[in-house]
This record gives sequence, C-alpha cells and structure tokens, in this order.
Amino acid sequence: MFMENKNFTTVQSRLAAGEINLTGLVTDYLTAIEESKKLNIYVEVFAEEALQRAKVLDEKFAKDPTSVGRLYGMVISIKDVICYKDHKVTGGSKILTDFESLYTATALQRLLDEDVIVIGRVNCDEFAMGSGNENSFYGPTINAVGENRVPGGSSGASAVSVQANTCLASLGSDTGGSVRQPAAFCGLVGLKPTYGRISRYGLLAYASSFDQIGTITNTVADAALLLEIMAGPDAYDSTASPRPVEKYSDLDTKASPKKIAYFKSALDHPSMDSEIRAASLDFLEKLKKDGHEVSGLDFDLLDYLIPAYYVLTTAEASTNLSRYDGVRYGYRSEDVNDLQETYKKSRTEGFGKEVKRRILLGTFVLSSGYYDAYYGKAQKVRRLITEQTKEIFQSYDYMVMPVTPSVAWKIGDQSTDPVAAYLADIYTVQANMTGIPAIALPLGKNKENMPFGIQIMSDRHTEFSLLNFANSIDFQ
Amino acid sequence: MPYEKYETVIGLEVHIQLATASKAFCGDENKFAGSPNTQISPISLAHPGTLPRLNERQVAYAVRLGLALGCRINPLNRFDRKNYFYADLPKGYQITQQDEPVCLGGGMEIITPDYTRNIRIHHIHMEEDAGKSTHDAYPDNTVVDLNRAGVPLLELVTEPDFRSAEEVDIFMNSMRQLVRYLEISDGNMEEGSMRCDCNISVRLKGSETFGNRCEIKNVNSMRFARRAIQYEVKRQIDLIESGGEVLQQTLNFDPVTGKTSPLRSKEDAHDYRYFPDPDLPPVALSEDYIEKIREQQPPLPWDLKQKFQEEYGLSEYDARLLTERKKDALLFMDCCGDSKHFKQLANLFINKIKTHQKESPDTVFTKKQLTEFVELIAANQINITVANQQLFPAMAAAPEKSVKKLAEEMNLFQSDDGDFLDGLITEVLAKNPDKVKAYKNGKKNLLQMFMGQVMRNAKGKADPKKLQELLREHLES
Repeated sequence: MFMENKNFTTVQSRLAAGEINLTGLVTDYLTAIEESKKLNIYVEVFAEEALQRAKVLDEKFAKDPTSVGRLYGMVISIKDVICYKDHKVTGGSKILTDFESLYTATALQRLLDEDVIVIGRVNCDEFAMGSGNENSFYGPTINAVGENRVPGGSSGASAVSVQANTCLASLGSDTGGSVRQPAAFCGLVGLKPTYGRISRYGLLAYASSFDQIGTITNTVADAALLLEIMAGPDAYDSTASPRPVEKYSDLDTKASPKKIAYFKSALDHPSMDSEIRAASLDFLEKLKKDGHEVSGLDFDLLDYLIPAYYVLTTAEASTNLSRYDGVRYGYRSEDVNDLQETYKKSRTEGFGKEVKRRILLGTFVLSSGYYDAYYGKAQKVRRLITEQTKEIFQSYDYMVMPVTPSVAWKIGDQSTDPVAAYLADIYTVQANMTGIPAIALPLGKNKENMPFGIQIMSDRHTEFSLLNFANSIDFQ
Repeated sequence: MPYEKYETVIGLEVHIQLATASKAFCGDENKFAGSPNTQISPISLAHPGTLPRLNERQVAYAVRLGLALGCRINPLNRFDRKNYFYADLPKGYQITQQDEPVCLGGGMEIITPDYTRNIRIHHIHMEEDAGKSTHDAYPDNTVVDLNRAGVPLLELVTEPDFRSAEEVDIFMNSMRQLVRYLEISDGNMEEGSMRCDCNISVRLKGSETFGNRCEIKNVNSMRFARRAIQYEVKRQIDLIESGGEVLQQTLNFDPVTGKTSPLRSKEDAHDYRYFPDPDLPPVALSEDYIEKIREQQPPLPWDLKQKFQEEYGLSEYDARLLTERKKDALLFMDCCGDSKHFKQLANLFINKIKTHQKESPDTVFTKKQLTEFVELIAANQINITVANQQLFPAMAAAPEKSVKKLAEEMNLFQSDDGDFLDGLITEVLAKNPDKVKAYKNGKKNLLQMFMGQVMRNAKGKADPKKLQELLREHLES
C-alpha cells in the first residue's frame, strides 16, 4: 500500500475516492515506525495524538470534503529542533532533557493550520551539528539502505523517516547542507529555500544567518506545496522576508531552454567520488540534450568555502548556545557549589563532544585579538562568494553541483577526523553562505546500491523557477 | 594641602531606561514594580528557538534624545551581541550597539552658579537591560527577577569633561529633566530608571595627559554618586601622594561604608566577544524619518528658559524654577498668552503652585483660573494677601469654577466705595482719640496702625492705596 502513497497527490486522490482514510494511513505509518525501530529514527512518536487527530479530520472530511485544510492527508515527522507547543524538543541533546516547548514554530503552525499531522519528532545531530546523524544524545540513526550506513546529517532521521515510509514528508533544518545531504544519501528530494523565506521562529538556532527550515520529500511537488504553506513574513522573525509568496505548487512539467552553469573545479575536486562524478557529467550532458545551454565555469573560491563556513557558523553557534546554561530550563548538574560551577558542569555534562568542539572554536574566533584574523576575514570571504554567486546568476538561470563528494559512509568511519567530515560539506555550504535556494534531487546509485544526488541552485527568491525546473527533469 | 594640586577628571556612562509600553525586543510589558517574573515570555526567558524583534519605539526615543542633544543620527543602525554568562542574562548575551551607535557627538550645557560649560557627548547607543539579581534576600541563594530583562535602555557616554562631583550632579539633574521633557523615561534614579557608571581619574593641574581611571559601577542615586566620587578622588590622590599608582579597575561603591572596593582589574576584564547580531537586520533611518521626529519634538527646557527670560523679562532664577517641570512650564506659557502680567504669573507659579503641588500633586490648575486670578490682583480688585491666603486654596479645591465667581461668593472684592471706607475710618478714629491726638502732634507713623485696624475691619476688602488717601484726609482735616 505504501508504494502507492509516496506522493501527496496520490494520497489526496485516494482519500477523495474513499479507497483509504487518514486513520488507516496513520495506523500504517505507526506500524512502519514500529517495524523500523532498529533504525533509531524517532525520539518520540505522537501515536495517540496523531490517531486522534486523524479520526477528527476523517469525520470532518466525511461530513464536508471542503471543510478540511490543504494538507489533509499529509503526515510528517519533525526534526528534534522544531518547537511544537506542549511537546518536547531537545535538539538531540542531553542539555535539553525533558524540555517542553511553550509555543509552536511559525512554519509548523502554518502546516497545522492546513491540517497536517505530526506523527513524531525524529533524531538528528545534536543542535544540527554534524553530517552523519552520529552526534546525537540518542545514538546514531541508520540509513534504511545499505549495511550500517549513516543516513547523512544533521537531518538524518528526517530523511530515514521518509525513506522508511513512516511518514510522507519531514521538516528538517539546513545550515550547511543538513537537509540536502541526507536527502541525497537516502535517495530523496531535499529543499533548502532562500534564507529568510521561511520564518526561523521556533527553530533551535545553530547559526542564525545560515539556518533555514527545509523539507525532505519523495517528490518536488510535495516540497513545493509545503514551502508554499510555510513561507512568508513573520512578525516574530525580523530576518523573514516580506516578499509575497508565490504559488510554488503550481508546477510545470516542461521547462523552456535555460542557461545552466557548473563549476569545473567542483567536479574535478580531489575528494570527488568517480562514480558520482561520472553520473553528474552524464546529467549535464542530458540537460544539453534536452535543449539547455550548459557551461563550465572557473570558481577559485571553492577551497575557501569550508573554512569560512566553519568560522562563521561556529562563531554564531558559540553565542546561540549560551542560553543552554542550566539556570532556567533543561539539564542542570547536581554536583555544584556556585553559579560558575553550574555553568561549567551543566554544559560540560550536557553538551556532546562535537557541540563542545564547535562552541570552543566559535569562542576562539570571536575572542579579542583573533576576531579580525578569523571572523573578520571569513565575513570578507562570505561577501566575495556572495558577490560572485550573484554575478553568475546575472548570466545563468541555475547552477548544478553534486550534493556530496561521496555516498553515505559506514557508521563510525568518519568520527576520528572532524576536518575530513567538515570537508564533505563542500558542495552544499555555498547556498547557505550566499542565502540562495537549493534543491537536492536523487540522481542514481553506485555499484554498492548507495544513493547519491544532484543539486540545483538558483538566485535568491527564485524558488518558483527552481522548483519548476527541478520538476521538469525526467530522470528515467 | 596636596589635594589642591590635583584636578579631577570624570566621564559618565548614563543608562536611561525607556518608558516604552513593551520591552526592547519582544512584546512583554515594560513597567516597574510588577510581581517578580510576571512580565516575561518565552522570548525574554530565551527559550530555544525564540528570536528578538526590534521595538521601533525604542529607536524613535533614541532619536528624540539625540536630536535634543545635537547629536548626529546614524543613518544605519546595527545591533551587536555582548557575550557573558550571568544568571540574570537569559540569552547569555546582551543585545547592544557596539560599532554603529544610534547617536554620535552632541553635548549638553551645565550651568553652575559661577560658570556655564558644555559637556561633550561621545555617543548614545541602544541596548537591553538585564534582569535583577538580589543577593541578600536569602542566606544561601541569589534570587533573580527577569521582569527587567529586555527592558530598553539608552546608554549615553560622555567625554571626560567633568571636573567635580558637583558638575556630575548638575549634569544628571539636567539629564533627568530632559528625558522627562522628551517623555522617553521617567528618570527616577531610585527606581533604577536612570543609573550611571563614573569613570574617575586625577591628574596634576595643567597636565595634558589623563591618569589611570577607575570605573564605579551602577551608582543609582545622586547622593551616592557624589559621595562615591569624593571618596574615590581622595583615595586616588592619597595613593599617588604616598608613592603608589592607580590601577585601572572596576569598582563597586558601598553606600553603607561609603567606600569603593575593586570588582575586577583590567587583567581579568571580560572578553565580551562582540559581533553583529545575525537575528536583527540593520535598521536604516531615513532623513524623512528623522525630520518627522524633529518636527514632533517637544519643547526643550533650555529653550523655554531662554524664552521666559527674553520674552517675559523674567530673571534667570525665575525662569529656571518655572521650567523645572514641563507640565508647569507649558501651563505657565499658556497663561502668558492670555495675561500679560508675566511677573505676577511667575510669582503665582513659584510661590503658590509649586508649594501646593508638594502637598497635593494631583491638583489640576487651568489656564482660565490662573489668568483670572492674576488679573483680579493686577486690576486691584482683590488684595494680594487675601488672594493668596483665601482665594488660592478655594480655587485649588474647585478647579471647574470661575475664579471671579468664587471671589464674589466669598465676598473678597476690594471696595473703593468711599462711604464704606469713611464709615470704617470714622469708627476706628472714634475708638482711639488719644492716638489721633498723638498723630496730630507729629507721630505720623501711627498711620500704619490705623491702616491695619481699618483693613482688619474691612476683612480684606479695602484697597490699601485708597484707604491711605482717605485716612490722611480724615486725620489731617
């Protein structure tokens, strides 16, 4: 039954035809959750509540099919960094043990208003810091394909929750690729919108000027619909764009000839997996055949992306995470004598290794005497990259790039060398550094049957064009 | 005396709590003296996922103050994070303006009995207040009230232009008067709405360089500020005179002992790791916006004072007293539009109204009442003493009533009716034949005694000038 329900249009038409009802659908998802327990996807399942809500909506729908919201039939999971009133949210961290949110994130509220059902909150890297979902207080989540492979991160479990058919879509967050990379590792669609397109109110902050809520779905159409509902200005987030929201869900299946750019140095990068490289080149060839103009560009800032990204994001993170201090909520160490010790011990015991590493790094790059050499310089790099990216979009409609230089690695393989792990973000961070939208699409599988993806980027606030183009690509 | 060789140099950091309805970066109510931890929300508690949003009123108030002090208004405002851990700082950082403050330059004159001097302002920036920690309420615990966390503040930083505690005192009083005129703060130091940090150093008179300075934190009353400065100046001079060196330190002033003590030295000064707050986009202030605020700017105390001196011919002293509070100054000015007896009006305000307000601050006086009151005296229709002693309290008690009518009802009008006075005079003279004789024999100063008696019998209704004339006629005929 699930095979047929992998996109929302099908779900809706089957609901309308009376072939299935939402209660049945939720029940099946709950069974799938039960059966996939070994993958360690969910931190908490809202089983009863989801069933209850499904029942109410089914009754409402039976009485009057026009009385339900646009997302009647959409069952989603949410990453453990998104606030949902009266539900726990812990950022995959011990430091937020048992913390319950007093309010709902704006983006989620907009989905709830259209009758979405949240089936549970899913695992992630602690405070969204990681690319393998291995840095969680709740242990690693496992990719549903392949033996003991990571699902990617930090929205790893979001991806697996869709991949393992435990829901139709998942809300993740993307600071440097955290939605697109796990989507690619799990063979799914991952969308990171323009910075500011979706309100960040209610998203646990990692790096405020990079963070953006994104979706992991089976189809571009589902991503477009969810974006259309979540996007828009929000009085609670000053960085949310006031631009009106376009009808993203109004998708075309054909694209007129476009101008597409790619970075030659990206495909020739030493860390690039040969199979992904070959598939990416094939993809570019296919675009040419489809009538698009494809050009390889030089981009000499590629090697500066990762260092600048990690300086800036850790700087922001180091202060964003200061609020987790054991004073007002969350975990507080018992064994203390004064305020200083409360801070030291609560944070030492409450944060995991990677989070502590990034807080220290961020504290260092902002400290007096080092600010100019690190933070100041990284800001300059960010400005340069943003300018160059902007320039590219004056001549080209889209940029195409692999999502990752490799397929999902085996759990534990990368944890000894953090720098190597950081470098794997090379293709995804540009979109966050410059604030542009990017979508990861499943491109293929390697000979070990591990999925990988291709990424399409466009200028700021051109999601409508980006989604249309992504939807028009025929991968068959 | 070694002290006379030295000159004191003081710079101030004045914190002004803004009287906005809500906090600086969220919708929590901003008011003083609410029950602890009632004016809070997930945002001011720094719950996960919350974000700041700028209270635009805070910006408008900052611009108002800046324009009043002749500052340059920064067209592009940025906010920064100042990072440090403390129990009353929920986010672990304070939102402030480090690099791009809202106002730059400007100054304010201080007027001492002997001279007038301009105190230059370095800048004014916007920031948010922290919560309030109370350390002495419980033996083992500190309690924290977060009602104040996120309350909008302006920090005004002066150049090191003060040379004495008295100058600081005058400046702070003028500043309080100004923020009240501008209606941006209640200016109450006792409630912490205005606090100042004092940077103090001493140097030999004539020296061009500054000595090492010490900063006294959070002085919340002018009396304490004066004592703290005096204590600190003496301490620094004594130290230098005994061969020591002043260390750059942050000090705490203890009002109980009257002494300052070190909080921390320069070496363990915090590294606040300032950086631009990514949650708050820069705020551009257009010229139109600034002009609009300039147009709506309320009158300033020094402008009114000058007007009162120049247009109404009042003394500096009178003008100063009349402009102490904006409400009184505006009412006074209003009255001066209707009555040209400026000096009488000034006397009424300074001698009667100010005293009255001390006892019953809620009394409302109207322009109509006050001008009528002054006109009655000026037209000689009511004796001034009677007016002040009898009519004024009656008027204060009946704000809606016509003063003329009141005076009529109380029968307070002076009489220039010759027959009425003749009768009273005849009566008094008849009772004092001896004194009449004495007068006629040359004891002319008895006239005052006769005046007094007739006045008393007339119950204030006698016009003294007229009476004197008539008395003379009677006695010398």
